[in-house]
Amino acid sequence: MLGPDHIRSLLRDALRNLHLGDADIYLTATTQALTRFANNRIHQNVYHDDAVAHIRVAYQKRQGRAVTNNLSFDGLRAAVLQAREHAGLMPEDPDFPGLPSASQAASVHAYDEATANAGPEHRAAIVGTVCRKAADARLEAAGFYRTGVTELAVFSTRGPRYSYHAGTFAGLLITARSEDSAGWSKGGGWRMGEIDAEALADEAIGKAVRGRNPQDLEPGDYPVVLEHYAVDDMLEALSFYGMGAQMVQDGRSWMCGALGQPAMSPLVSIWDDGLDPAGWPVPFDAEGVPRSRVEIVADGVVQGPVHNSYTAAKAGLASTGHQRGATGGPTATNLFMRPGIRSTEQLIASVDKGLYITRFYYTRLAHNRGCVMTGMTRDGTFVIENGELTTPVKNLRFTQSYVDALAGCQALSDTAHLNLNEAGVAMHVPAALLESWRFTGQTV
Amino acid sequence: MDPIIATALNTARARGAEYADVRLVSNREQRIVVRNGVMETMTADESVGLGVRALYNGAWGFASTRELANAGADQAAGQAVQIARASAGQNGAGLTAARLLGGPVASRGSYTTPIGIDPFTVALGDKLALLLAADTEMAAVPQVSARMANVVFIREERTFANTEGARVSQTIYEAGGGVQATAVGNGETQRRSYPQSHGRQQGCAGWEYVVEMDLAGNARRIAEEAAELLTAEPCPVGITTDLIIDSSQLALQIHESCGHAVELDRALGDEAAFAGTSFLTPDLLNDFRYGSEQVNITADSTSATGLGTFGWDDEGLPAQSTDIIRDGQFVGYLMSRESATRLGLPSNGCMRASSWNRIPLIRMTNVSLEPGEWTLDDLIADTDDGIYLETNRSWSIDDRRYNFQFGTEVGREIKNGKLGRLLRNPTYTGITPEFWRSCDAVCGPEHWTLWGTPRCGKGQPGQIAHTSHGTSPARFRNVRVGVMH
Repeated sequence: MLGPDHIRSLLRDALRNLHLGDADIYLTATTQALTRFANNRIHQNVYHDDAVAHIRVAYQKRQGRAVTNNLSFDGLRAAVLQAREHAGLMPEDPDFPGLPSASQAASVHAYDEATANAGPEHRAAIVGTVCRKAADARLEAAGFYRTGVTELAVFSTRGPRYSYHAGTFAGLLITARSEDSAGWSKGGGWRMGEIDAEALADEAIGKAVRGRNPQDLEPGDYPVVLEHYAVDDMLEALSFYGMGAQMVQDGRSWMCGALGQPAMSPLVSIWDDGLDPAGWPVPFDAEGVPRSRVEIVADGVVQGPVHNSYTAAKAGLASTGHQRGATGGPTATNLFMRPGIRSTEQLIASVDKGLYITRFYYTRLAHNRGCVMTGMTRDGTFVIENGELTTPVKNLRFTQSYVDALAGCQALSDTAHLNLNEAGVAMHVPAALLESWRFTGQTV
Repeated sequence: MDPIIATALNTARARGAEYADVRLVSNREQRIVVRNGVMETMTADESVGLGVRALYNGAWGFASTRELANAGADQAAGQAVQIARASAGQNGAGLTAARLLGGPVASRGSYTTPIGIDPFTVALGDKLALLLAADTEMAAVPQVSARMANVVFIREERTFANTEGARVSQTIYEAGGGVQATAVGNGETQRRSYPQSHGRQQGCAGWEYVVEMDLAGNARRIAEEAAELLTAEPCPVGITTDLIIDSSQLALQIHESCGHAVELDRALGDEAAFAGTSFLTPDLLNDFRYGSEQVNITADSTSATGLGTFGWDDEGLPAQSTDIIRDGQFVGYLMSRESATRLGLPSNGCMRASSWNRIPLIRMTNVSLEPGEWTLDDLIADTDDGIYLETNRSWSIDDRRYNFQFGTEVGREIKNGKLGRLLRNPTYTGITPEFWRSCDAVCGPEHWTLWGTPRCGKGQPGQIAHTSHGTSPARFRNVRVGVMH
C-alpha cells in the first residue's frame, strides 16, 4: 500500500508551482493476489500491483490528459507537462464547465486488515477445500479465490482538495462440472471473513449434481425465477447501456422516452449508493466529487441517470459523483435493488410451469431501445413444474428486453446478495420472479 | 542481458524454481477521441514493469513489479517462487519442468514491426485535424445525434528471457482508427461504423495505416446510412435464408466460433469457470468435420499488419503459421508449451500476456479464413434470395462455442441476384459446425482483409488481447435470421 500521506505528497509535489491553470490527478493503486484453479488443482497463481496516475490539466475551456505508472517526481512531472501540452492543442469545448469545485466526500470504512494481508498459503488452503469437496462428488471444480487492496485518491488544485479511500476486496468463484452439467456459486465483498467457502462449494456442487442428464426444451416464452446471479447481469446491462447521463444525452440509453414513465413493475426500485457498506463502497468519483445516492427507478418509474460534472453542467444539474474512470461517461457501479417479502423457495412454489435460471452468460446488447439483450443460460437451468424444480435442461439462448422483463416482475426474494465483479462493479440484488422471458434457441 | 532480468532469473533459481521466465515490458499508448466535435480524450499512457513466472514441483507462481531496480526484481522473483510453492503444496507431487514443458526453448534475437512512419513522430495537430475533418462530415447529416472519431497508437518494447537460455527483444507498433455515427428518430436508434465497429480498425503498422483508411472520405456515407436505417424495413422475422456475410463481420464470426474454440487450454478445461470450454475436444483432433471443403483456416503470427504478429510469443517460441481447419477438417489447436506437451505435440507459439503484470495465456494470433475464388459481384449474382450482412453490432456465443447469435449494423436484401433495399436490425443465429458446413462459397484474395480485434477478453485476472482475422466475404446457406423480434 502507498498510504494516504505518501500519495498526497506525491500528487501535491507533482502539481506544485507549475501555474498550469486548474489540474487534478486521479490515482488508482491496486494490489491483487488471485489463485485460480481448474480440474481440481491450482493451475494459475498470481500477484500483481500497480499504481496509475491520471493527470488532467484544464484552462480556457480546454483540457488535456496524460497517464503514467511512473510515480517518481520526474515521472509525474513529465506526465503533468504532457497533459498541459495536450490541453494547449485542444479546441475549446463550450460545454466544458471546468474542474469541479472543492467539496469533501464522507469517509466510509471498507478496509479489512485480514483481507489486505492474506497470503498465498491461505488462498491455496481455501481452494484446496473446494477442490476436495468437488472431487468427493466426482466433479471437476474450476474458479478463483482472490484478495487485495484498492487505493483511490484525487488531488485537485481547485480548493485545493484531496480525497483518499482504501478498500479491500475478496472473492471466491466456483464452477463445478460433470460431463453434462455444471453448477455455479460466487461470494465476495470487502471482508474475506464473510466468504463461506464450504457453503459456496456445496451450492455449486449441488447444482452440478442435480443438473445431470439435461433435456431438450422447446424455445418460447416462459415465466422465470432468476437467481440473484442472473438479476446481477440484468442490472449491470441496464447500468452500462443507459444509466449514465452521457448515453441519455446522446439518445442511446434505454431511458430515452421512458424518463418519468412507469416502465417497470411497481415492485422494482433501483438506486446507486457509493456509501452503503452493504455494497462495495467508493465514496467519491474520479473527479473527487462525493458520490450521491441516486434513485434510478422508484416503484417502477424511471427517475433519471447518474452524472459527472460535464453531463451535469449540460443538464443544468449538480454532478452526482459518478465519473467512474479518468475518461468515458458517468456510470452507476454501486447499485441496489429493493428486495421483496417472499423467499426464493416461495417464488419457485408460485410457478406452475416455468424455468429456474442460475445465471446468464455472454450477454450482449442487441438493441438499445428497451435494452434488448441476447445471451445464454449457464450452470444450472431447470424446469419448474407445479411449484417445484424438476428436469434440468440444456442451456438456452434468449433475446429479451430487460426493461420489458422487469415490467413483468411479479415478486422479488426477501434476501439480496452482493455481486462484486473484478472491475469493482457491485450489485446488491435479490432473486426475481418474472412473468415472461423469451428464449429463442438452445445449444447442443 | 538487462541486470534486473538477470537478478530475477538468479533469484528464482536460488529460491528453488525449476524453470522461470521474465518479461520486461514498456508500453506507450496514445489515444485521441473526438466526440460530437470536441476532443473528449487525448491521452498519453505509459506503463512499465516486470513479470516473473516460476515453476516449482510442477506448479506455477507469478509476481510482478513496477519497481525496475534489482530490489524490485529480486522481490518479485522471490514472491513468484513462494506462490508456486503454495500451489504445489495443495496440488501434491507434480511433473518435472522437462516433462511439463517439453524440450527447452532458447530463442535469441530481436524483432521490430515493419512500419512506414512512426506514429509517435507525427504531430498531434495532424492527428487532431484528421479526426475533426471526419467529424465535420458526419455533422452534416441532421439525424445524427452522436458522432465519434478516434485514433490509437501503441509502441511496446518487450524483453523475454528464461532459465533455458532464451533472450529475445521486440518492439511492436500498432495503429488504429475509426468513425461512428448514431442517428435517432422515428422511434429508432441506429449506428453505422467505418472501417468496422467496436471503435476502429487496428493493425501492427505505422501512421500510414490510419491515413489510408480515409476516415473523412467515408464519414459522410456512414452517417447517411445511419439516418437511412431509421426508416428502413426491419429484417424478416424467424426465417431461414442464404447469407452473404461481409469480411469484417465474418472476421468476428471466426474469432468467436473458431478462434476461441481451438484454444487448447479451453479444450482441456483450464478456462471452464470463466470463458468456458470447447466442443472441439482433443479426441476430435484430425477426426471431425468442422466446415465444408471451402473452409480453410490458419493461425499465422507472421501476417503483415496483424495484431497477432510478432517475432516470438511470450514463451519464446518463434512466429509461425499452422493449419487449424484444412478442407473443412479440424486439424490444429492454438497451444502453449505445457498444453501441447500434454498432447505430445510441439507448441505453435500462442502464449501471449496483455501486460507486464499478467501471465501469458493461450491467445489467438491471426486466425484467418483463406480466400476462395469468387468475386463478390458473381456471388451476389449467384444468389436468388438472401441477405448481405455488414459490420458487427452484437455478438454472443455459448460457453462451449456451439450456439451463436450475431447482429449487424446493416442488412441488404438480395433478390434474383441483385442487392436491394436496406434492412435494419438484422440478426442471425446457428450452431457452429452446422453453420460452417453450410459455407458453399468464399470470395477471392482481392476481397480479403485482415481485421483487427483489439478487445479480446480472457483470463482471471482479466486480460485484453489484440488479435486479427483475415477473411473475404462468404456465403452460407439456410441460416436462421430475424431472432430479435
